[in-house]
Amino acid sequence: MDVRVDVLGPYVRIAPTALREAARILRHDPDLDFDFLRCLSGVDYIKQNEVEVVYHLFSFRHRHRITLKVRVPRDDPRVPTVSDIWRTAEWHERETYDLLGVVFEGHPDLRRILLPEDWEGYPLRKDYQVQAYYHDIPVPYDIRQDFEKGIWVFEDEIHAADSIPPSPEAQS
Amino acid sequence: MKYWWYRFYYTTRGILWPLWIGLVNLFRRPVTIQYPHEKPRLFPRSRMMLYNDIDNCIGCLQCARVCPVDCIAIETVKADKDLGVTNTGHKKKLYVTIFDIDEAKCCYCNLCTEVCPTECLVMTPNFEGSVYDRYDLVLRFAKITPEERAEILRKAGGKTAGVTGILARKT
Amino acid sequence: MTTILDVERIGPNAMVLHMGPQHPATHGILRLDLETEGEVITKVVPYIGYLHRCFEKHAESMGWQMVIPYTDRMDYVAAIHMELGYCLAVEKLARIEPPERVQYIRVIVAELQRIASHLLAIGTYGLDIGSVTPFFHAFREREKILDLLEELTGARLLYNYVRIGGVAFDLPDGWLDKVRRFLDQFEKAWDELNKILTYNSVFIERTARIGVIPVEVAIAYGLTGPNLRGSGVRWDLRKEEPCLVYDRCEFDVPVGTGQYGPLGSAWDRYYVRVQEMAESAKIVRQAIEQMPKGEAGDVQKAIPRVVRPPEGDIYFQYEAARGEIGYYIVSDGSPVPYRVKARSPCFCHISALPEIGPGAMIADAVALVGSLDIVMGEVDR
Repeated sequence: MDVRVDVLGPYVRIAPTALREAARILRHDPDLDFDFLRCLSGVDYIKQNEVEVVYHLFSFRHRHRITLKVRVPRDDPRVPTVSDIWRTAEWHERETYDLLGVVFEGHPDLRRILLPEDWEGYPLRKDYQVQAYYHDIPVPYDIRQDFEKGIWVFEDEIHAADSIPPSPEAQS
Repeated sequence: MKYWWYRFYYTTRGILWPLWIGLVNLFRRPVTIQYPHEKPRLFPRSRMMLYNDIDNCIGCLQCARVCPVDCIAIETVKADKDLGVTNTGHKKKLYVTIFDIDEAKCCYCNLCTEVCPTECLVMTPNFEGSVYDRYDLVLRFAKITPEERAEILRKAGGKTAGVTGILARKT
Repeated sequence: MTTILDVERIGPNAMVLHMGPQHPATHGILRLDLETEGEVITKVVPYIGYLHRCFEKHAESMGWQMVIPYTDRMDYVAAIHMELGYCLAVEKLARIEPPERVQYIRVIVAELQRIASHLLAIGTYGLDIGSVTPFFHAFREREKILDLLEELTGARLLYNYVRIGGVAFDLPDGWLDKVRRFLDQFEKAWDELNKILTYNSVFIERTARIGVIPVEVAIAYGLTGPNLRGSGVRWDLRKEEPCLVYDRCEFDVPVGTGQYGPLGSAWDRYYVRVQEMAESAKIVRQAIEQMPKGEAGDVQKAIPRVVRPPEGDIYFQYEAARGEIGYYIVSDGSPVPYRVKARSPCFCHISALPEIGPGAMIADAVALVGSLDIVMGEVDR
């Protein structure tokens, strides 16, 4: 456990194995009573080869706050879920899984939320490489290929349509 | 029975008030304008399509660097002769061989005109930019023709002073 | 993976109804799979992500100032709040103190924007329910605010006006008088809007008993803003954790009272928004009164040319029109943000739909989604 209060955002860093126990105490202890999970975010620290999950908690009754941080290795990021303790974590954990690839163990419905189901890779990783093709569409999409395929009409061809001689009725 | 009258009063009121307000508004002056026939009144700060006064441009690339969507493409080559000074007194040291702004990408955020040191890049009040071909929205401000550009680049040994942005070109 | 189209799981009387993505009443591109038994919804599964445009990934590749146009596009009907939240977070991280006049200008602009945003929410909610007239009344007033903001900032929707350490332009001559004139006539329009819609018995019958969110559910799902206050929690970040100069202005925090039905109904949330517009008008008036005189160039003075916050991280929250917009920003001391995470209020609001949706009628689904006042640009980011 690592507590820092001298920085701008004071935080408590705990081991991932202790997260569920800590979360349960923070939520249900009447003196703490953190009932509002403000924000759940993941950060990829590529230099330390770690992924950090940050929980910002707040208590409506006591009006106090705390920041929890959990660090897990980057190759196999596994964090126990807190979605049964704070219901709002359910979607936030799905989002973190979607964009950073953190697996929340025990999550009831862990699948991609913002990106398509069959997207490859986790975009917010610092070493993310965009996949070359998605359903045979090049990524990132370049409009210039439409010209090559002939989907797009050139300006000259639009004007060529105007040069068709007018009908005899219009001439007379 | 009393409750019935209560409901009757509130329902009737709820129907008659909007009708009355609608009737009153029938005689108000309309706030809409008939757009294509009647142009909207623009404010001096309104941000519409960009315009670059290329004679005053020194090719400093600051606008292209600050652009969040990378819609400005600039290529500059070191000048081999004196190009004069701009209106603001900056010495022009570079040929601006390409200065393209893709208005289709532009997000009209005003960041580029703020950093411009010679005030040559401005937002004009022209907002009617519809074209048939989306590549016509690439505004080309450089006065140097492709032949002159090839000549300048040949003289400079193919070396450019700075290139930025995605050079969106037809073909 | 549990999908809703699990044929073996759903009963013989059940029917699956796809609402959206292109549905006029979902305020954007939201898809809801509704599992129904007759007329009653038994399960709601929202699908989001149709407007995803990688704001957080974009932000990691550009300078601190250049992120601001992207934050505008999150909540495109209350863009000032989005950029204000971001700028306040970065200022706190970089320890920049903007001048007092800037803070007053920000409060005025933000509250005008709140009125505009709530007007849109109210007008389109009336449209969802089926009453068309209030929509035009609301939009007429909103248009006047947009004109005011256009004169000040140069744009109608996506302003890029608030900068880190200041604002982009000073107030034009006579602008404050125009705001005062607008507020004077807005009171009348507010009354008119109430007469047409708020106390319309048809509207009350339609909304006062649907979409009830109990307090526990609202807090558990992280609802904020008018949706939380509609459930009776007196919680407003402008009051509780004041930033800018909100602590010098007097205003009430309206909460839902359950006047025409159970507490936390759709009508309560709607009425909180209506009252909040009047409160915002009050704040604007006070801010105009208290605002110190300034000189030319005063508002841009504190804007640094290159922003370079020191190493560290911060979570900052601001009361946007739809709830708490929070930014978790990590800086590694470079001119580019290391990580910008936006906690958008509507994301949490939609996540509560599977809880509050079941039990409602199909016809009420639109009224329920409309009462949450979601903007999909902010959900998908």
